[in-house]
Amino acid sequence: MTDPIESRVFDIIAKSAGVDREKITAETTLKDLGLGSLDAIEVIFDIEEAFDIHLPDQDANLDADTVSGLVTAVRQAVASATPATT
Amino acid sequence: MNAADGDRQVVITGMGAVSALGFGADVLWDAMKAGRVGIAPLLHPRAESLRVRVAAQVPDFDPASFFDERTLPLLDRVSQFGLLAANQAVGQSGIRFDEANGARTAVIVGTGVGGETTQDAQSEKLYGEHAQRLHPLTIVRIMANAVASHICVRHGITGPSFAVSSACASANHAIAQAVLAIRSGLVDVAITGGTEACLSYGVFRAWEAMRVLSDDTCRPFCRQRHGLVLGEGAGVFVIESLAHAKARGADVLAQIAGVGMSADAGDIVAPSDIGAARAMRAALADARMDPAEVDYINAHGTGTLANDTTETRAVHLALGGDAMHPAVSSTKSMHGHALGASGALELIAVVGALGEGVIPPTMNVLDPDPACNLDIVFHTAREVPVRAALSNSFAFGGLNAVLALRA
Repeated sequence: MTDPIESRVFDIIAKSAGVDREKITAETTLKDLGLGSLDAIEVIFDIEEAFDIHLPDQDANLDADTVSGLVTAVRQAVASATPATT
Repeated sequence: MNAADGDRQVVITGMGAVSALGFGADVLWDAMKAGRVGIAPLLHPRAESLRVRVAAQVPDFDPASFFDERTLPLLDRVSQFGLLAANQAVGQSGIRFDEANGARTAVIVGTGVGGETTQDAQSEKLYGEHAQRLHPLTIVRIMANAVASHICVRHGITGPSFAVSSACASANHAIAQAVLAIRSGLVDVAITGGTEACLSYGVFRAWEAMRVLSDDTCRPFCRQRHGLVLGEGAGVFVIESLAHAKARGADVLAQIAGVGMSADAGDIVAPSDIGAARAMRAALADARMDPAEVDYINAHGTGTLANDTTETRAVHLALGGDAMHPAVSSTKSMHGHALGASGALELIAVVGALGEGVIPPTMNVLDPDPACNLDIVFHTAREVPVRAALSNSFAFGGLNAVLALRA
């Protein structure tokens, strides 16, 4: 069964990186997909816009994070945003 | 050419500064020696809606106490800072401009974003308040060359004058242009440095989106560092040929012995050790300076993960076996990252170190990052003779400018 959040994150990354969605796995890093640090910031921005969330600020190597790490962060942000909207 | 042509050596004879640490180059230097940190909770009308929590803002600044009613409407905050710093520098140098020497003087001042305070306020009027007209002095306040023009007007300087812009390296690039103009014989004197007043709502939002801002303070070369802290201010210098300084009996504060510039031609934001090292080596070669002579490096030292380790590698590439010799510090930990003014504020630290044999410290450090394997001065100033020094500026866009100085 496909997790809708994970699915949407994969879509966004695939579009940004210009790669086939099938190439992305949970263990893939943005760097593996050829995305540099600035590209990674754009992916984060696209995700924030798509889910209407704010992902934690970090001066970190975003491009070295795995896709599953990103999905987890999105899931947490969506969960913490939900009570405020209901 | 510099060493061969002794009378075209370029020396600093006056300095001025406006920064989060106060008014005056001497005030800034004393604060840096004492390890005083100018980073504080952000004061901004929209602070509550911003994620950024801290900044290095010029404290208690009332422009009406410095400028008359006729002049003030012409000046964006960036020009106010730059003009005040220039006035201080001219005052210290003791130089007076007349028709003859005014024409033999250049004004070359760096700024990253120019009249941002005006830009932001007028944009809000236009888009937020649906104003039908903007203030008629909007253009003359916003233009990046405004501060250079106002320095010319104030002091009667009629030589080659313009702005230089290369983001965080603007001041060093401007100073390099001024040095080259003096060396070439184009002018005898230049007023040069950098100014920035970039702490607008729009700019804060844009920096937030880049995810490089620290949420507490600036901790360069520290394992717990997590970003830069934006600042503002201006540093301006009077520089002149050694012959000109001697002829008028001016006190020489330091010599700008070499300039080195390079472009990474790579990533638009990620720093390059190779590009940075190329600029450092170019400055050393231009100054005919042996790496072993360098006793101090004022680092670019932004406190981002990317900069500090890259800069460490660059120092090793540039200085080779002598890389562990110079004391290194990042004064951005005290005056913040004032973008286009940074190199100028940092040059005041370098001149102070050369003159007094005191290395200003890197503040706010919890645990030194072992990946930054240099002789970094942490927590308190260090007394050590300084014969020569480098001042690094590495900008977004991959543009690097390094100054080499001698006592």
